[in-house]
Amino acid sequence: MSAETLQVLADVGKGKSTRGVLRVIILALIAGASIASRLFSVILDPWFNFRATKYLVANGFYNFWDWFDDRTWHPLGRVTGGTLYPGLMVTSGAIWHALRALTIPVDIRNVCVLLAPAFSGLTAIAAYLLTNEMTTYNSAGLLAALFMGIAPGYISRSVAGSYDNEAIAIFLLVFTFYLWIKALKQGSMLWGALCALFYGYMVASWGGYAFITCLLPLHAFVLILMGRYSTRLYVSYTTWYALGTLASMQIPFVGFLPVKTSEHMPALGIFGFLQLLAFLDYVRSAIPSRQFQTFLWLFAGGIFVLSLAALVIATSAGVIAPWSGRFYSLWDTGYAKIHIPIIASVSEHQPTAWPAFFFDLNLLIFVFPVGVYLCFQELADEHVFIIVYAVFGSYFAGVMVRLMLTLTPVVCVAGAIAISTILNNYLVAKTPTEEDQQAAEAAEKKGTKSGLKSATKPVVGIYSLWSKSLMVASMAVYLLIFVMHCTWVTSNAYSSPSVVLASRMPDGSQHIIDDYREAYQWLRQNTKEDAKIMSWWDYGYQIGGMADRPTLVDNNTWNNTHIATVGKAMSSREEVSYPIMRQHEVDYVLVVFGGLLGYSGDDINKFLWMVRIAEGIWPDEVSERAFFTPRGEYRVDGEATETMKNSLMYKMSYYNFNNLTLEEAFTSENWIIRIYKVKDLDNVGRDHISAAAFEKGLKKKKATKKRGPRVLRVD
Amino acid sequence: MLRSSPLLSLFAFLLCWGAALVSAVSTTGNRLLAILDDVGEKENYSKFLGDLESRGFQITYETPKSESLALFHLGERAYDHVIFFPTKTKGLGPNLTPQILVNFLNAKGNILQTLSSSTTTPNSLVSLLAELDITLPTERTGLVVDHFSYDTLSAPETHDVLALPPPVPVRNDISPLFSAGAPKDALLAFPHGVGAVLGPREQLTPILRAPNTAYSYNPKEQSEVLDASDLFAAGQQLSLVTAFQAINSARLVLLGSAEMLQDKWFLAEVATPNGGKPVKTFNREFAKRVSAWAFQELGVLRVNWIEHHLNEVTAVNESNPHIYRVKNDTYTISLSEYAYDKWSAFSLPANDVLQLEFSMLSPFHRLPLSLDKSQSTPEASVYTVSFKLPDQHGIFNFKVDYKRPFFTNIEEKTTVSVRHMAHDEWPRSFVISGAWPWIAGLGATVTGWVVFVALWMYSAPPTDKKNKVGSKKTN
Amino acid sequence: MRFTQSFALALLLLAGVAQAASWGFDDGTVSVVAKRAGETGSKERFNSKTPLTKPVSLGSTDTLKISLTAKDNGQEKRPHQAFVILKEKETGLEAPFPLTVKENGKAVASITHKDLPVQFLITDEPLEASIVLGSFGSSKALNAPVFDVKLQKDPNVPLPPYEKPVRYGKKEEIHHIFRADPKSPPKVISIIFALAVLATVPALFISWVLLGANLNHLSKAIGAAPVSHATFFGSILAMEGVFFLYYTSWNLFQALPVIGAVAVVTVLSGTKALGEVQSRRLAGER
Repeated sequence: MSAETLQVLADVGKGKSTRGVLRVIILALIAGASIASRLFSVILDPWFNFRATKYLVANGFYNFWDWFDDRTWHPLGRVTGGTLYPGLMVTSGAIWHALRALTIPVDIRNVCVLLAPAFSGLTAIAAYLLTNEMTTYNSAGLLAALFMGIAPGYISRSVAGSYDNEAIAIFLLVFTFYLWIKALKQGSMLWGALCALFYGYMVASWGGYAFITCLLPLHAFVLILMGRYSTRLYVSYTTWYALGTLASMQIPFVGFLPVKTSEHMPALGIFGFLQLLAFLDYVRSAIPSRQFQTFLWLFAGGIFVLSLAALVIATSAGVIAPWSGRFYSLWDTGYAKIHIPIIASVSEHQPTAWPAFFFDLNLLIFVFPVGVYLCFQELADEHVFIIVYAVFGSYFAGVMVRLMLTLTPVVCVAGAIAISTILNNYLVAKTPTEEDQQAAEAAEKKGTKSGLKSATKPVVGIYSLWSKSLMVASMAVYLLIFVMHCTWVTSNAYSSPSVVLASRMPDGSQHIIDDYREAYQWLRQNTKEDAKIMSWWDYGYQIGGMADRPTLVDNNTWNNTHIATVGKAMSSREEVSYPIMRQHEVDYVLVVFGGLLGYSGDDINKFLWMVRIAEGIWPDEVSERAFFTPRGEYRVDGEATETMKNSLMYKMSYYNFNNLTLEEAFTSENWIIRIYKVKDLDNVGRDHISAAAFEKGLKKKKATKKRGPRVLRVD
Repeated sequence: MLRSSPLLSLFAFLLCWGAALVSAVSTTGNRLLAILDDVGEKENYSKFLGDLESRGFQITYETPKSESLALFHLGERAYDHVIFFPTKTKGLGPNLTPQILVNFLNAKGNILQTLSSSTTTPNSLVSLLAELDITLPTERTGLVVDHFSYDTLSAPETHDVLALPPPVPVRNDISPLFSAGAPKDALLAFPHGVGAVLGPREQLTPILRAPNTAYSYNPKEQSEVLDASDLFAAGQQLSLVTAFQAINSARLVLLGSAEMLQDKWFLAEVATPNGGKPVKTFNREFAKRVSAWAFQELGVLRVNWIEHHLNEVTAVNESNPHIYRVKNDTYTISLSEYAYDKWSAFSLPANDVLQLEFSMLSPFHRLPLSLDKSQSTPEASVYTVSFKLPDQHGIFNFKVDYKRPFFTNIEEKTTVSVRHMAHDEWPRSFVISGAWPWIAGLGATVTGWVVFVALWMYSAPPTDKKNKVGSKKTN
Repeated sequence: MRFTQSFALALLLLAGVAQAASWGFDDGTVSVVAKRAGETGSKERFNSKTPLTKPVSLGSTDTLKISLTAKDNGQEKRPHQAFVILKEKETGLEAPFPLTVKENGKAVASITHKDLPVQFLITDEPLEASIVLGSFGSSKALNAPVFDVKLQKDPNVPLPPYEKPVRYGKKEEIHHIFRADPKSPPKVISIIFALAVLATVPALFISWVLLGANLNHLSKAIGAAPVSHATFFGSILAMEGVFFLYYTSWNLFQALPVIGAVAVVTVLSGTKALGEVQSRRLAGER
């Protein structure tokens, strides 16, 4: 391949309009690819969101807003309209209405299923826009879009049917950042307002909005510390903060949190600090006395310290809520396990294992630091943002598996910057001439005087065509491997919905284990419309959605005590559990048992969390220690402790285990789901033990001399 | 001759049938099974059984050994009620095991069980009673005597025929079903009876308790000396006639003395040692009431309807809505009581109240319902209460849990949701005085903004030099 | 008829005879024996006519010993029923304690705390003890209250657990206690503060006027771009009007389209109007 042919090829893309068209086509293809790669399997998953959307579509916005859901959290009910992020449902509702207005009759279910892939296409475009703000290479943006489109870290939460808040939230996250950079660069109120608008949308959609709420002030703060205070910063930040906070307060679930909780205080603090700086800036420009300036700086510092003290006092006085437990768990990974077991019990909230980074990001995790390094080289305001984002994103992703999601965009952006820089350097057909080099060296000599050393760049270029082609070829191979990896991960790891388990038979054929749906269908067809189902909260949404039966607790874990009550019922003896179940009007109990199949995600496996959560509320009645053998082992076999053997959960898991207050109602094909019916009180007033003994025909024991004094009958 | 005429017999049959329709009948059915050792024995009880038949019962007589005897047919009750007269057999055979009898109660069948000190009680029945927390004397027999209130006419020596006044309720809030209307000096003869000891269960209520000084002994072994350690029970702990009502309102009456029901004691006169005049026994009326209670003719309550609604003068005032908000509310329940042959308005016993619970997990309100005369009819009384729903959202139950001795259980649960205040149901901000400064602030901002816009666009630069600095800063 | 009458008469006569014979007892003593070796507590004599005035106190480890000689019509004889009945006065609960009677009518019974039913152990009231003697035949039975027993409880030993059995009946009434309504500060204070807030408006205007604010360019502006200036300013006012309507009566879906329409007008007319303002600025007139 000669230099000329390459030149000819490169010339095709020279014309400005041609490039524009190409870019649009490429972007469209990327968006298409990112949608397509999410369609491996389609099963609607977080059923609650779907239920909520159906309610929204059926009853209208205002009824949805004031929705009191009496089919969850029995008997407390849930003020659903006030305790959810409505963004997702409103988005699908709006799309549905728009499509109907366009006379496209479409089922709301289809909108819900395809929402996440559709938004992933938008995310790719947002990543393109954001990256374009960072670098002058257009290829970086396209690469970022491509990475964003197919990175497994993002696909994991946005396959078709994964109808969760994250489906739209990542798009909003990236787009808000883009608008923020845009506003900051231009110092524009309009862009700031747009940024606030999308921030508001983000708040309406996902609890992870706090990431933005903390990251933007942090960026501003770093800029200030770097001595880069500017009116651009002032205008963009104050616009964003004022409007964004107002917008976020419109969401009932958020309400007054932005002025009450510590998570939101950095944003408020930086807002105040910027006012102060602006004021000082004005004074400084008006009064040129140097001494006065130092005094002013002291004054500013004093105000800062004072407001910090006020914050501390207000927090300790309880005016401002202290950092919530969920937030603490981000700083101390062991915190949740001790204080808030309900958070620690979710596998998504566990610290990330190292292989997960490679699994979810593959090649990008290697080029990510390169991209960050390149940002250091430029170090404009927007690059500072990438650096700050990279640092915090990495930390949080290391703390919680789930937060890999927030890291993914910055990894894609930084990776794209790195790879496009490499490609731009090596994919230049032109060989540099002597003059270029000399000119560059001269420029370098001049340049060393000013600016950071790292910020200067050699503009020489690569001479050898070999090294060029070797480099380009290896990059191409890496990228191809990346694509293959993404496809493989998506099809194998992230496209198997939790309700259907797929396994391989010895001969390699796929075997589908569909016990969940079988059981939910059974509930739907064989129980009363208002039969209350008690199960661990993991299955709450599924029961509510697929079986359409009221549940005691569900995946929206808003009431720890109620969950602990269920935990107590599961981990106590039947004599203790039965009154609890009666009080909560439980009709059926559902447990997941993996013993027959060797399915590890069953309730016995989660049992310790139930015990821990219950122990958190009733330390006197439930003790985790009692479930361990004297040698400190958690055993479920013959050597299980007495407490373990007598616990309701243990009894329900194993077949015909002398249940006295429950009777087996249904067991699914592979025994994964076992449903028990709670017996009524004995008709003639006996306890269940003696009633069962009588049924078996056991002779009633001659009234044995009871301990203690005899009791006379009182009428 | 008359019987041979088919037409007449048909006529007679129709008449009887019609009579059966109009005459009293139990609310749960009229198929009555009587278990006797020997069908011939029924002659001793002819008046009692005749009374039952005249009240519309169809009585089938069987011996425990009978092959054809079955309480259930194809899983359904074959009889509605069973009477056990004393039998000499030790067991009752495979058709009357305690399990079957408990199932019979669970299937809303009623049992009247009689005992006698002269026969031992069959094992099966003792086991059944044990399940109900009723204990019979050891050796399955015993004799209740009282040296203070025996019948001086028939048992001056043995003191084993107790002469007792009709029973007053054990508590003052229980309906006096069994003594109401009895003559002042009426006496019940309780001949050769067996007393039972009741466990603490709430389903049990003694109808007739032994007097303070009565006691139970085993005439075979303790005729001479009553050993201190062998005393079964004495005094009021000894229940002579016991009522049991299961949660599903199935009833079992344990009558300590089968002889009470015999014609002999329906007609006899009794006198107490205190020198009262001999009086005719109250047994016939008492037997009628006890059997009527056992067979769901007495003390049967029925809920006719339940209604609840918002107690507000608003445009929409739906009846029995599914969802409420913190607001005033009215709950109404209509009740009837059955007595032998007709439903009539239910009136609460003195000192008793009908209560409504409004509960979620635990009751938030427990309020007495009061009689609403305007809605009541001779057939049904209407009880009602108005109250304010608690300021707690959730899934609540209107619960009338009227379980009382001698009345069928009423447990009516109506589930409603109480929702939170919707966003537009709170008082508007201008109503709240604390919000006025903020509203004023809004007004001030709006005015300031509009005027600022005008000034910014239309203000000429100030001519005065002094003011130049402070004038509108342009961007 | 006559026969039955005379029979009844005979019976009555018999009863009359029975009236004459009656059960009684002599040598009634009650003593409290402490468990500690040989130490005898109080010992008192009682009879059927007058109960003892002072209650007998029974410690938790003591034994109450009752002995008497039963007599039928003055003859020492063994009755079939010889009970000491303890009665809890408040609830009327009774517990019988049969005396062990010899052929010659000598009867003894011993009662300790262990023998008592739980309801007696937890009460503070003294228990009433009565003697019941009776037997078959015509002799009149005796039921005589004889003394009271006061239980001395050991403060170191906890009372036995006792829960009142569940009985069907009316229950305590419950009335929900409502949360207090949120309170506003006194109206006067609200009004003062509202006025203070409103006072900033004239203060602002006055300070603007003092700084030289005027509307002198109004005619100029209107002259240059009459339509756009009018619509722009009008649209700003209209937007405030929409907000006001949203506050008072409209819902979101009524307000949003109008806001959209007004916003479009604002943007379109604003570009022109503000362009005119800019032109003045460029001309150095501001």
